Order: sequence, then C-alpha cells, then structure tokens
Amino acid sequence: MVQKTKSDKTPNASRRDFLKVAGAGGAAATFGAITLSGKEAAAAETFDAEYDVVVCGGGGAGLPAALFSRWLGNKVMVLEKAATLGGTSFKAAYWYWVPNNAAMVKAGIPDDKQHFLRYVARLSQPQYYDASHPRYGLSEWEYSMCEAIYDSSAVGVELLAEKGALPYRHVAPVPDYFAEMETIGATGRVLFPKDGAASMSDGGQVATRTLSTACRRDGVTIRTGHRVQRVIRNEKGEVIGVEAQNDDGVIRVKARKAVIFATGGFTHDVELRRNFLSIPAYGGCAAMTNEGDFVRISSTLGVQLRNMNYAWMCPISFEKAIAKDPSMIGCFSVAGDSMIFVDKRGKRVVNEKLHYNELAQKFFEWDGANAQFPYLILTSIWDQRAQDNSASHEYGRLIVPPGIDDRHVIKGATIEELAANIDARLQKYAGQNGGMRISADYVDNLKASIARFNEFAKTGKDLDFHRGERGVDLLFNGNVKDEPGRKNPTMWPISDKGPYYAAFVTGGTLDTKGGPKTNPEGQVLDLADKPIPGLYGVGNCVASASGRAYWAGGGTLGPIIGFAYRAANQVNKEPVRG
Amino acid sequence: MRKFIAAWKAAAHGAAVGTLLATSMPSFAADDLDAAKVYTVRNCSQCHTFEQGEKHGQGPNLFGLIGREAAAAPGFVYSDGIKEALKGKIWDRDLLDAWLTDTIAVAPKAQMVYFQDDPKARAKLIRYLESLK
Repeated sequence: MVQKTKSDKTPNASRRDFLKVAGAGGAAATFGAITLSGKEAAAAETFDAEYDVVVCGGGGAGLPAALFSRWLGNKVMVLEKAATLGGTSFKAAYWYWVPNNAAMVKAGIPDDKQHFLRYVARLSQPQYYDASHPRYGLSEWEYSMCEAIYDSSAVGVELLAEKGALPYRHVAPVPDYFAEMETIGATGRVLFPKDGAASMSDGGQVATRTLSTACRRDGVTIRTGHRVQRVIRNEKGEVIGVEAQNDDGVIRVKARKAVIFATGGFTHDVELRRNFLSIPAYGGCAAMTNEGDFVRISSTLGVQLRNMNYAWMCPISFEKAIAKDPSMIGCFSVAGDSMIFVDKRGKRVVNEKLHYNELAQKFFEWDGANAQFPYLILTSIWDQRAQDNSASHEYGRLIVPPGIDDRHVIKGATIEELAANIDARLQKYAGQNGGMRISADYVDNLKASIARFNEFAKTGKDLDFHRGERGVDLLFNGNVKDEPGRKNPTMWPISDKGPYYAAFVTGGTLDTKGGPKTNPEGQVLDLADKPIPGLYGVGNCVASASGRAYWAGGGTLGPIIGFAYRAANQVNKEPVRG
Repeated sequence: MRKFIAAWKAAAHGAAVGTLLATSMPSFAADDLDAAKVYTVRNCSQCHTFEQGEKHGQGPNLFGLIGREAAAAPGFVYSDGIKEALKGKIWDRDLLDAWLTDTIAVAPKAQMVYFQDDPKARAKLIRYLESLK
C-alpha cells in the first residue's frame, strides 16, 4: 500500500489555519456542514492514511458494515466520535428483528415475503395501505427498501453468527408488536445476542463486545475519539475520503472505494430536532454523540432528506432528559401493576402498558381549543407495594431499587403530600415545561382516578383504556408481585395507605429515523435519484422507509444489519479511485 | 499530532497493539490536571460520574477508584463476567493502565468495551482518576 502522509512535513498555511478554526470549540460544528470539493480537494490532496473503505461510526450499523466489508477482502477503518464503541446500540437491549431468519426456517415457522410486506406497509403508511395494490400502497422506494429487509437481513445475520461476530439465540415466543394483525410470522422473528441475560436487557453490551472483538480479530482498524466532519471529493465529485477531528487536530483519511456513514440520528441536536421532528420531544436515549452529523455533512451534496419528521420513540424520564443524563434509557417496559399515569388534572389518559413507541405518541396529542400539549408531561404514580415488587435497574424503569439513581422520584406520605411535592417539582422546571402546574382539583381527581382504576384492577378489565388486553402489554409488564388467581397481571389496586411515589414521564426518541435517502444498496442518492459515487449510509443517519412505524422489538437493528450487508457488497463493486 | 499519527500508522500496518504500550507512565505536572479532567470527563461521562457521592451511571461512580477493590462499588450492578475477572484485585495504576489499554484483554466478558493504545491518552485518564480522592 502506498501512503502519502503529511506526518513528516510542516503543515502548510491553509492546513494550519483550518486546525486553528476547527480547534475553536463551537466553530467545529459549523465546519461540519462544509464539504471539500473540486479545487479545494485538489489543493489538499495528501492524506494521513489510506483505506479501501472508511466507516464513520462504530455502532449498530457501523460495526457490521465494517465487518462485512472486511470479509470481502477490503482494508477497512472505523472512525468513531465517542471514546467507546457501540453508540446507541450499546445502550439497547439489542433484540434484532429478522424476517424469515434461519432459526425460523429450521424450526419450520413460515414467514412469507408478501405477508411480511403487507404487514410493514400497513404499519408504515396506514393512510395509503391497500392490500390489493401491487405495492400495498407503499411508494416504489419504500417498497424496495422493505423488500431488501426481507431479502438480506437474515443473510447478514447468519454471516455475523457464522463468523462468531454476533452469535444469537432465537427467542421464538416474542410476538411482533402488532401480532394480532398477522396470520403468520407473528412470532419467531426476534433474535438476541447469545450470551445476553435471561431478561434480554443487556444485548447491546454483549453485541458491542462480540462485534468489536471480531473487528479487531479480523484486522479492522478502529479509531475512537475521531469525529468525522467533512467529506472529501475529487474533481469529478466522487467521494474519496473524510476529514476527522481528534484531540490533537484533524486527520485526513483516503477511502479508495467508499465512505460508509453510520453516524446515528439527530436526537441530541436541539436545532435539528426542533425544526424537523413532528413532535416537541425533550430528548431521547440515543448515544449523546448522535447530533445529526450526517445531516449537516451531507447538506452541500445535493441529497434528498426523507422521513425527517419521525423517530423511533419511547417514553423517557422528563427530568433525566432535561438533565441530559447520558445514562438515560427509555422506558421500554413501564414497571408496576399498582401504578398509573395521570395528567396535570390528576386523570388517567392512556393505557400505561401500551408498548413504548405507541405510548410515546400520547404525550404529543394537541389540544386545539387551549393551544397546548396537555399530556406532554404525565406523572407515573405508584404505591409501596409496586416499589417493593416492581423495582428494577433494567429497561429504563422509573421504579428503581435502592442504590440506583432515584433523583427523578417524588415521594409523599399521603396523596395530598405527594400532590404538593409534584407541584413543587414542576415549578422547578417552569422554564422547560411551559409553566405547567397541577390543577386546583388535582387531589380530588387523583383520588377518583385511583378509585376507578382499583375497580378495574379487581375485575381485570380496564374499561377506559384496555390495559393488559394485548399480548404485547404483557410482554413489557415487568416484574410484578405474584398474585395467584388474578386475571390481568398488569393491574392491582393502588393502596389507600402511603407512602406514594411519582415520576414525570414524557415522550422521547431512541433516535431519529430521517436523513439522506439511499437506495436499497445503501448508496446515498442525489436530487436525480442517482448514487453519489463513493458515498454510502446505513442506520439511523439515513432515511428509514418505516414512516412512523415500529414493527416489532428489534425493528431497528435487524433491518440495519441487512442494509449494512447490502452496502458492503455494493461497496465491493466500486472502482478503486485514485 | 505527529506522534499520534506514527502510532496510528503502526496500528494500521498491523503492528500488535502491545508494542505500542509504554512501560513507564509519562508523568504530568499539577497544572496538567485541568487538561486531564477535561479529557476524562469528555470521554467517559457517557457512562461514569466522578464527584464524591454522585450516583452511578451506566458505569460506576469513579471517585476514590485508586486503592479500592475492583468491581465492588456499592450499589452498582456488575456483570458476572466482570466480577469473575476482577475478583480480589485492587485498582492501582498498573491495573488501570492495563484496563484502559484493553478492557476485554483484562476481562473477556466485560460490559465496558474500551481500548486506548495511546499511552498519552491513558496517562491523562489515570492522572485525573488518581486525583479523585
């Protein structure tokens, strides 16, 4: 390999000027939107290193993309912005949803492609869905992307498993989130990292370990602490490398075949969130480094941004989101049976056990008459019994055991005291919650809400919100006290004696799901729908064809592995660029 | 920068990570502590907290780490893999340096996946963590 490097030369004036600017804190972000091309690129033609494939981001999309590329014989470098690998996927439970996976085939569980496509079409674009339409109402692009998921996720997943990079276990009984809509394939699509815990909460840690170990074993070069901030193009407009900032300055890496972006969404960029998302989310549990880098970097390349309005959603702790707690995990499993959510009037408004992506929508319901989001912050309320039996450090639960950070928990010996403490806590956040307070009749309403809920709990029938009626409600019920003979394990009467506990909940994002549009091979498309040579994108940094849907547990990671596999294979066909 | 690139190129050429290890730790002056703190907080605060009495994050609070028993912070839930590998060990500079070089080499089933082959970067981390007492 021939490397042209600058390491033995004095940096030229323009380089030095750039270093100075890039090092000036906030200026670096501004620079992220700039892409060198043409004359500029020619003037700065030297590189610090040269690889066939440069993968930007070492998370759930980047690590598989790097491995697939490496196994095709390419020299691969991963540039990760954070100090550690895994990105958002490290924090994830890491279920991965893989239609017609090998374990299903082996077990004789059928998963027909057309059936799969109807299911995802129905959920992704319900307003256009038409079972008799050749693409079930999806656009050509959406349909081709969904086909790719069916065709390639299982192939990529098997290769990762065979190579020891991501051994899995088949969790056959886990249902899809709308299993009742399906006649086949309703269960069997969920896989989980083999060495993960029985509770299936820690898959991200296991997967990050096994994937990164395989990368190092097989000769993928990994650099953490490197924030890619520019794409470098040649005179023809082909992407031939990147510039990345590290603690010492800026390095330039040549990519002879392609650059694959896998840098995550824009959960933690307030500006992008406010201007693109359809919802006023306070934040989310994506890795803190997910700041929309690819949206900014690609902004001068003539890309088409798609699906920017939607996100993979989950309820989150309002207070943790405001505190920008990097350890925050979304409430994937709302804990407790003697527990309810109430609004600022003290009234129940939702099935608390609705699965996370759909529960999260409730917070953003608009009250037109009063011009407000009345449910933007709900309050989870539980009793000592739920505290004793449903506390857990997993799945972002709000009911946590002793020793775990519980600053988000509000306590009160009586309902009256709890209400006063809730109101006091709300006032602490007056600048962030629109001056929200509890209503004058809150205590009476809350007592009535508890009394009504308690009646439902006794009969096992939630006549207001149908809590616990769907299989998926039970899937995420979490730990509850064993109560022999009860019909509905999601409910139990809330005690008429304190102490009581409360926590603020709002809707948040696991991460966003919009970005530049790619084709099913991961090639980033220009305004004419033509691939930009040498530029690829996989994962939450590019547009998902899922619309608003969250098809099933692992509906993020399974498809991402499929797209990483397809991108790596397409990259391998790229010519080597000088 | 130059030194970094040299190390990086060596790694790119497939040199074993081990050959890059410094056997002796570069020493930092007291006024380097600020830089060490900035670097450590920026790189590690996704998972760790540093002040006395702060709550654990995804990883344990690191106040008083040096000299304490490994994998034994009260209230933090460690995986079996990490407890087995670090059982009975005490955090000192050498163990910390080995840990930061490659957590998986020290504890093959560690939750924390971190590897830093730049001794200068490790020294910064250790400098700050040592000061937390």
